[in-house]
Amino acid sequence: MPVVAIDAMGGDNAPEEIVRGVAEVSRETDIECLVFGDEARIQAILDTTTYNPEHIAIRHCRDAIGMADDPREAVRARRDASLVVGVRAVAEGRAEVMVSAGNTGACVLACARYFRLLRGVRRAALASVFPRYTEYPGQDSLALLVDAGATVRCEAEELVHFALMGSAYARRVSKVPSPRVALLNMGGEEGKGGEALVEAHHRLRAIPTLNFVGNVEGHELVRGRADVIVCEGLLGNVVLKLLEGVAEVLQDVARAAAERRLKWRVGLRLLSQGVERVQALTDYRQYGGAPILGFEQLFIKCHGRSNARAVANAIKVAAKAVRDRVPAEVADAIGVVR
Amino acid sequence: MSALRIARARQPRRVQPALLCRWDLDKTYLRTEFDTLRQLIRTARERGTEKVEVPGVAEVLKGLRAAAERRGRPHLVYFISASPPQIGAAIREKLALDGVPYDGIVFKDQLDRLRRGKLRQLREHVGFKLAELLRGRLAAPPGTLELLFGDDWESDPLTYSLYADTIEGRLAADRLEPLLRRVGVDQELLPEVLALAARAVGLDGRVARIFINLERRTPPALFRLLGGRVVPTFNYFQTAAVLAAGEYLDPPDVAGVARALVERAAYTPRRLENSLADVVRRGALHPAAAEHVARPLRVAGLLPAAPGGWVRRLFRRLGRRVAPITVANPEPIDYDGVLDRLRPARRATEREARPG
Repeated sequence: MPVVAIDAMGGDNAPEEIVRGVAEVSRETDIECLVFGDEARIQAILDTTTYNPEHIAIRHCRDAIGMADDPREAVRARRDASLVVGVRAVAEGRAEVMVSAGNTGACVLACARYFRLLRGVRRAALASVFPRYTEYPGQDSLALLVDAGATVRCEAEELVHFALMGSAYARRVSKVPSPRVALLNMGGEEGKGGEALVEAHHRLRAIPTLNFVGNVEGHELVRGRADVIVCEGLLGNVVLKLLEGVAEVLQDVARAAAERRLKWRVGLRLLSQGVERVQALTDYRQYGGAPILGFEQLFIKCHGRSNARAVANAIKVAAKAVRDRVPAEVADAIGVVR
Repeated sequence: MSALRIARARQPRRVQPALLCRWDLDKTYLRTEFDTLRQLIRTARERGTEKVEVPGVAEVLKGLRAAAERRGRPHLVYFISASPPQIGAAIREKLALDGVPYDGIVFKDQLDRLRRGKLRQLREHVGFKLAELLRGRLAAPPGTLELLFGDDWESDPLTYSLYADTIEGRLAADRLEPLLRRVGVDQELLPEVLALAARAVGLDGRVARIFINLERRTPPALFRLLGGRVVPTFNYFQTAAVLAAGEYLDPPDVAGVARALVERAAYTPRRLENSLADVVRRGALHPAAAEHVARPLRVAGLLPAAPGGWVRRLFRRLGRRVAPITVANPEPIDYDGVLDRLRPARRATEREARPG
């Protein structure tokens, strides 16, 4: 069984929800959880929950990187922080993959500091998944967005790498045999966007092993046209936060409407099953986490607000990625353009 | 031979108090499934060869006897089961197959209760078990030390603690009676239990430890309410390690338990190491005692050979932090508080354990 390193101290709900997620995984699976953080606090939480100690090892760390800490300074100076110690454990082969809901910048920088970039890859990419419509039976209900913030500005070559890495990940983890890859742009025509986007478009079209479907615009994101959406980190981060914000606003509007009129309240009650299904579809906790791609080692980043269920799902995704040999698949994919 | 050794050899061997081990059967010794009526019927019809023991339990029982014999300590083993005597033949067959030494088994006559229309009493075991524990105590030699083994399925932790406090004179009859009424002990059985309790108070001897097999993985913190005497364990390797720390087992006996888990229950050295670290972190086993137990197991390949610095660091750090393990309960147990917590918590655990 894969050994998954977990940063118990990272995230808005750490360590309680992280440890409860670990406990859930220990009960339900054979995954070996190697938990980094304040040992006494971790054990105190375990003591109050149902868990299987046979699948949990705890490594005490005296320090933790907070969500508001400066990532660069924290990764450089706080070598005893749970995130840093965990990433080192993966780099040294004591665990096969790292999971954290902590400070995103620190996660990416810790990977950059201790992991090795795949041969030919210049910059890492933070992937993220979001729910969308599907166009054909068997299509994954989640699309993969690469990059969600690891590399703020990108050149064409980096966008090409992101496309290949994202496609390899989707092939392995989502089991999509030939994922449709698209560039996020301000128009469908290949000449649209800046110089980097135009060049990336030309180069992606020339890769025969890649199922490149061209550019997609913002309104097409939640349609099923593409399985992997490629963009630079700044844009990807804005898109994800916008999607999350819109979903939250819609829920708030529905709640406010229900409070205002009895007719609307009754209507919502009648639709409650459907609303619950939509909520489940847009609930990030269902999906666990997404990988930081481009390194020889694996890192699964969870949402900062992850609860126990999200953490448990992220650990399962991490174990699945190890079992499906994702780093090897990504390395092979990059080999096409090296 | 040195003068010191000669002097030691001439010293008369200290008479060891008898060790009385009392075990629950279902979910403690046997992996019995009776969550549904179908499982209950199947369990009742099973033969000895079809019954499955909890991994490592037979080795703990055999190790306890072997260790007692090495020390010249009289050793008695009794099973107290709330199952009906009709399954006795299958149970005896199973124990014989496992080579487990025992001195007696007590069953609960469920059929008699059914015949008398006492349906509620079919599931109430506190009164039955307490009476049998007290009866056994009165028959045991003076100064007997006891180890009790149960599980988190029914009321073993509570029953065993009530028993231990009663015989140690920490729970007077005027406190015991309302507690037994509150847990619903049979009105006809109550005077008998109280009479037995009155006779057992102040007998020489005590309950050294109560081991609870966390079959349904009840959160261990819940048992803190019952004091340090109660040790919840997730597997019999943890139980064996704690028993070795109390010198009821020797490291080779612990190795026997570990080997059984590795060979017959697909345990890995890493799983065993995680189990050991867990019981240390929970404060049931002193780090130095864990080291002592672990050393021969590493040599035998039952624990990872090179533990890495982390295990040594863990034990060193906890060794500094952990006070000597206290098995006696210095503070009286608030049984009303325990009952308030245990019953709703059991329902919550059931909900959590339910799939979907």
